[in-house]
Amino acid sequence: MGRYVLRRLLQAIPVLLGTTFLIFAIVYALPGDPLQALAGEKRVDPVFAAAMREQFHLNEPLLVRYGYYLRDILSGDFGTTFRGLPVSTIFEGKFQVTFKLSMTALVFEAVIGVGLGFWAALRRGKWEDKAVLAFTLLLVSIPTLVSGFVLQLLLGVKLKLGTGIAFFPVAGVQDGLRSYLLPGFVLATVSIAYLTRLTRTSLMETLRADYVRTAVAKGMPKSRVLGRHALRNSLIPMVTYLGADLGTLMGGAVITETIFNLPGIGQQLFQSVYLQENPVVVGIVTVLVLIYIVANLVVDMLYAVLDPRIRYE
Amino acid sequence: MRVTKGAQIVTATALLALAVAACGGSSDNTSTNSSTAAGGGAAGAVRVEIAEPQHDLIPGNTTETSGAEVLNALFVGLVDYDADKKPYNRVAESIESPDSTTWTIKLKDGYKWHNGEPVVAQNFVDSWNFTANGANAQEGNYFFGSIVGYDEMNPGEGKTPTATSLSGLKVVDDKTFTVQLKNPFSGFPTMLGYTAFYPLPKAAFESEGKLKADYGSNPVGNGPFKMSKAWKRGTDQTISTVRNEDFKEGKAKVDAVDFKIYTDLATAFNDLRAGNLDIMDQLPAEAIATAKTEFGDRYIEQPSSGIGYIGFPIESGANYAKSADVRKAISMAIDRKTITETVFSGTRVPADDFISPVVSGYRQGACGEACTYDPAKAKALFQQAGGDKMDEIVIGYNGDGGHKEWIEAIANNLRTNLGAKVTPKPVEKFATILDDLGAKKWPGAFRMAWIMDYPSPENYLRPIFGSGGSSNYSGYKSKEFDDLLTQGDAAKSIDEGIQFYQKADDLLLKELPYIPVYFYQTNGAYSQHVKNVKIDPFERVDLFTVEKA
Repeated sequence: MGRYVLRRLLQAIPVLLGTTFLIFAIVYALPGDPLQALAGEKRVDPVFAAAMREQFHLNEPLLVRYGYYLRDILSGDFGTTFRGLPVSTIFEGKFQVTFKLSMTALVFEAVIGVGLGFWAALRRGKWEDKAVLAFTLLLVSIPTLVSGFVLQLLLGVKLKLGTGIAFFPVAGVQDGLRSYLLPGFVLATVSIAYLTRLTRTSLMETLRADYVRTAVAKGMPKSRVLGRHALRNSLIPMVTYLGADLGTLMGGAVITETIFNLPGIGQQLFQSVYLQENPVVVGIVTVLVLIYIVANLVVDMLYAVLDPRIRYE
Repeated sequence: MRVTKGAQIVTATALLALAVAACGGSSDNTSTNSSTAAGGGAAGAVRVEIAEPQHDLIPGNTTETSGAEVLNALFVGLVDYDADKKPYNRVAESIESPDSTTWTIKLKDGYKWHNGEPVVAQNFVDSWNFTANGANAQEGNYFFGSIVGYDEMNPGEGKTPTATSLSGLKVVDDKTFTVQLKNPFSGFPTMLGYTAFYPLPKAAFESEGKLKADYGSNPVGNGPFKMSKAWKRGTDQTISTVRNEDFKEGKAKVDAVDFKIYTDLATAFNDLRAGNLDIMDQLPAEAIATAKTEFGDRYIEQPSSGIGYIGFPIESGANYAKSADVRKAISMAIDRKTITETVFSGTRVPADDFISPVVSGYRQGACGEACTYDPAKAKALFQQAGGDKMDEIVIGYNGDGGHKEWIEAIANNLRTNLGAKVTPKPVEKFATILDDLGAKKWPGAFRMAWIMDYPSPENYLRPIFGSGGSSNYSGYKSKEFDDLLTQGDAAKSIDEGIQFYQKADDLLLKELPYIPVYFYQTNGAYSQHVKNVKIDPFERVDLFTVEKA
């Protein structure tokens, strides 16, 4: 097991080098002068531009700039935005916001998604099942942009509890965990729907399996049949989905972050791509790639836990 | 000034372009409960919406409205602007010049830095030298281009500067310094109220000409408010300030001001309605109708300094771009009123001059017939000028800034009213159009905008239309125009100068190298917790006079 993990982590190194260079090259290839974009509508001040070009090596060809970037990384300098914000600050400040948001979303997803799917599978064909299916259809068809603003207006602005202050903050992270509940739910909505359906199908399939029928036939209590045999064996596709979704949630939270004014990396990534701030884009994407790699590794490990037949050497 | 709130707001704009007026109308009242501030800062603080300042809080590096808003609370400049948009003295006792070239600036007694030191002439000179030094890459650098010694400090790319301070600045004594300009400029005092001209205290500098690394996160200012704790850019969502009890002009009416950072205006507006925010000086377009009914007399609408144009490369462009009559016909065929009311929901008003209503020197209706919607006359003029036999009209715009709708509306106007063939051409970034225009490779029309640097009519004329102007994209070149500007600059007083600038303006109105389409509006609103909210021409809230309701 240990060797397997080590091998997987070593494999990550060429993947990381490849992705950083690819992203660096893609951002480099974007058209337009980034300093002009920085200046907005006016022609960029030549004195300011000259100083910036010098500082950020903007006149150098792609490979030279990539070389500078790698050199800085190796000496522990992750670079800054054009406006002098160190990438390390972005990491410590913004990543934790996005991470908390994604984790909240993931919890919503797991609890509601698995719960609803489980329930629907047990009530197969009954009205509860149909209601769950209709509900998931509704969730899938409402884009985050709409659900975000609507829930914000209804729960943040309109809903008042006794004190006259809304329970759910409209925006910002100043209220701790409470700030993340609503955005976390909004971010999770679409995934909740997928996971519900996945759980339902997967569980229904397992429930028809021979070993479940045998377990029921020999008089095992229903809770044990469902918990130990049916659910555990149908968890593999769900765990796979959740693992892959963590990366998607972290990288795709830009709309939710904007609506709820959470200072996460989505915003930063969008702006840095726009301004062609290579070190920032590459830095953020690298961490996202790392998260994908680790999440996938954890998922693979969980397979072994869930299904004792799976062994890694 | 660079465009409002810069690229940061682009994220929000891009999202809003997707959004279908998600927070629609409702006539309910906002929270009537006066609650304590919900987290973030001091209880009872006035909470003001801003976007994230693009840099640390350093006056010379701040050319966008959000950072300027905060600095306006922390600092006072030599002058400020009255209701008629004219400068009046604040830190300055007098700003005088016999020839509009050598200016003697005297300071009042009694202004103090937040650390107790008096504000002296050297503070201004230190600050201006720092910003004017190209090596410091300050965004406000270009404001000092008119002062003697600037060229030695900024010789251009690849050359070594021969000076590290402006030779045109001289400290006479603690309360007096002189400024030597390269050319006469009667409007010089109008520049001095802008953020880039604020002084910096001794405490800001580590050594001569070198700013302390952490100054911008916790600046010591000389204004009515001071920082209550350091602000960590990129992480903190609130910039907290408290009243400066030792301010020369008296105490501000409120104890504390929190600046809350938002990335999306629609979100901020919801927070305002929920009672978590007190003042917004910019509202999302889709919320204007709601805001008018919901906020009543707490809704603010006033002109702001921006102008939107359709421009033409009149020297190097296509045949329609070169013809003054065709440009006039196009201008007359644009239904400005409908476009500003429907496409912009009233966040813009029809433009009728090259000079914005926020500066003195603006004349209502100066553009006259050329900016008046008259399809029949427009068509006649268009055909008479041979426009119907010319190339297809192309209007370029950047697809990332919410410009599609109004450019399409103008294209439709031209198709219907002139019978012309029109193609709106989106480009991914505005920088691309500017690059092409600079290289004289853009033949067609293009959208353009201008936001003033300082409230003088000169700022709406020379940089955009003067020969060699920093933003002259039309290629307009007229000796008569340049001469009038020079005469205006050399005039004895600001008022006398305005007369010359207006004559220069008249030349433009005849030629129309750009077509003025709309003036930007400031649309703001404030909660029931505050009153006496005023917004200046730079879109800054005057926090010194804001009161608790």
